[in-house]
Amino acid sequence: MKKISILFLLISASLFAKINVVTTYPYLAKVVHEVGGSAVHVTSLASPRMDPHFIVPKPSLIPKLSRADLLVINGAGLEIGWLPPLLKRAHNAAINPGSKGFADASKAVHLIDKPKTVSRAYGDVHPDGNPHFVMDPHNLIPIAKLIAGKLSRVDPANKGMYQRNLSAFLQKWRGFLKQFDGQMHACRGMKVVQYHELYNYLLKRYGIKSLATLEPLPGISPSSKHTIEVINIIKHNKVEKILQDPYHEKKTSRFIAGKTKTKVVVIPQDTGAVSGTNTLKSFYLTISGRLCH
Amino acid sequence: MNKILMLSLVTASTLFADSEIEELKKLVLDQQKTIQALQTRMNALEEQKRPQASHADVSSDEAVSEAPKKLAHSEKANKREKTEKVVANEYAAYDTANTTAVSSAQDDTMTESQDSSSSFDQSAFLPGIALVGNMSAVGRDVSNDLYANYAIPGFIHTPGELPFNEKRGFNLNYGELEIFSTVGPYIDFFSAFHIAKDGLEIGELYATTRTLPYGLRLKGGKFNSEFGRISMKHQHAWAFTTIPLVFEAFFGQEGLNDEGLQLQWVAPTDFYLMAGAELMQGSNENSFGDTDGINEVNAYLKSSFDLSDMTTLLGGVTYMQGKNGFGDTKIYGADLTIRTDFDSYSSLTWQNELLYREKPLENSIEADQAGLYSQLVYNYNQNWSGAVRYDTLFKNVSDEPEGLDKYSAMLMYRPFEFTKLRLQYSYDKSKYFAGEQKDVQEILLDLTFEAGAHGAHAF
Repeated sequence: MKKISILFLLISASLFAKINVVTTYPYLAKVVHEVGGSAVHVTSLASPRMDPHFIVPKPSLIPKLSRADLLVINGAGLEIGWLPPLLKRAHNAAINPGSKGFADASKAVHLIDKPKTVSRAYGDVHPDGNPHFVMDPHNLIPIAKLIAGKLSRVDPANKGMYQRNLSAFLQKWRGFLKQFDGQMHACRGMKVVQYHELYNYLLKRYGIKSLATLEPLPGISPSSKHTIEVINIIKHNKVEKILQDPYHEKKTSRFIAGKTKTKVVVIPQDTGAVSGTNTLKSFYLTISGRLCH
Repeated sequence: MNKILMLSLVTASTLFADSEIEELKKLVLDQQKTIQALQTRMNALEEQKRPQASHADVSSDEAVSEAPKKLAHSEKANKREKTEKVVANEYAAYDTANTTAVSSAQDDTMTESQDSSSSFDQSAFLPGIALVGNMSAVGRDVSNDLYANYAIPGFIHTPGELPFNEKRGFNLNYGELEIFSTVGPYIDFFSAFHIAKDGLEIGELYATTRTLPYGLRLKGGKFNSEFGRISMKHQHAWAFTTIPLVFEAFFGQEGLNDEGLQLQWVAPTDFYLMAGAELMQGSNENSFGDTDGINEVNAYLKSSFDLSDMTTLLGGVTYMQGKNGFGDTKIYGADLTIRTDFDSYSSLTWQNELLYREKPLENSIEADQAGLYSQLVYNYNQNWSGAVRYDTLFKNVSDEPEGLDKYSAMLMYRPFEFTKLRLQYSYDKSKYFAGEQKDVQEILLDLTFEAGAHGAHAF
């Protein structure tokens, strides 16, 4: 018991030296790591293997939150179903919404698909707009800027370093975006259907048309009637690919592919969601590779 | 109209003077827009004002895209430049607001039309509101009259009012109105009003602190005790539609809910460790019931470990003590939950709670009683789940029966996240009617819907 407590003390002591940043999703942790460098210790709460809407609110996530100096969330309602009770139980005033240790990435990016009327009759809609903006790599720029600003407020002593890291990351990322844009250019004008409105930011930027979702409404499982409609849409419009996320059932998309000679491509929704996507670059290159080649 | 606008800009700019840079940027941009609008309208003053406006333009443009070109600078120069920019921004915001206010003073146009109906509009402060509705259709092999007077020997003489599924046939059990909000920087507020046939009851109404240090949180008001696993949850959030038998026997069908004060502490450890203490009035008559003063104290410790990425172990111990008129009732509790998730929508949860009670009776006799439940819940996917539960009261007062058991099975269908339909069958050997034991079989279809603010999923 004594040994264990000493171990804990040591672990906590080593953690205290750095700024403790907790992010909800892995991609945010990757950005924090780029901007924070050696001054921060970053962990993410959600496993990339899970549906980002339905993360299991495990009690083991609470101590991570209660010791955080900065919490970075995706926002736009993506965490509404699992984060608030954990945050309440963490008893950490420093990261409450509205305090300086709370950052909402959705406030830094331009959200699309904001519904004109909000009603649950339309399924599980996000009133602020589509929260899956990570799918467009251009959105990492405002997010990185936001994180650098927040880190500088939480840890003003290292402000200069955060600024340098930010500039270095942005330069690197702008270079990467040129490469990525070039790759994505190949599939401009392509027609696809997707399981959930998960890829709209990516599709919109690169001129890819999404003609239907396999879900009849957001958050509602596919029905046979709607699946037949999707098959008809695919046949009439020469749709090439079915974009499938890694965490939903794949029976429906395979069934549709079998009926229509389209191809099912699994497009990861976050870094680490499928193998070989553990860095930001490899994550986006996997997307462009699977979608356009 | 213009004057008011200018005035508010001036106040806004002074208020925001030492606030965040982001806010300042927004303000500057807003002001630019206002100025541009003014420019087109106030032709006479246009020439005078253009320099200031374009000055604000330049500085705010820089502020928006500040980062990229700074690589070459040294850290020091960088810092200095940034602070200078902040100062410049603040000045620009203040300056433009000031000059436009001055220039509007030279404008003699009268304004009349103004929509002031929303001047005191507070709808932005509306709290979160949710309405939960619960109703059921019940089939039971005991008549309503008989069922209203069931007894659990040694525990319950008459059940009093039955809050859920009282009659054979249709039951509108309740509507629950939940209203919650952040009250200020220091306090959050939550309330749940239980609306039943006989009126409105305050189910829960409490304030919790937001900013206590050292991992502490204080709660005050009327609330469900947070010991164990099931006590803190409302009926619509339970896996089954009925409370476990041991909870019914010790606290009644609505569980342990009372007025009081609660302090919880999250330990600064790498694993989850939480300690809680509650002072309560002691108004639960099944176990306590002496309400003259603060007569009950609950204490509990909970901890959790992840056995793997997908498997979690959660356990807790509880101690309660409270006056019941003959002396102090003591309750010892323990709970253990293991949950394995297969993917985002599919999981298996095994949950167990044990309660042991020492309750003083008349003539200084002490009743030692105990019971437990064990339930297995399988979530097949987002739409379907099933569960089984075994309930038992295995220790009782010396001349009363032991081994009072109940078996339940449940199938749940959720067409959408906020709607659930539960079909539940139970075989109950714990109930006595007019002194005679009778097995009760019950089949029940229960509909719950949750409208409004998004309720979060509990573990």
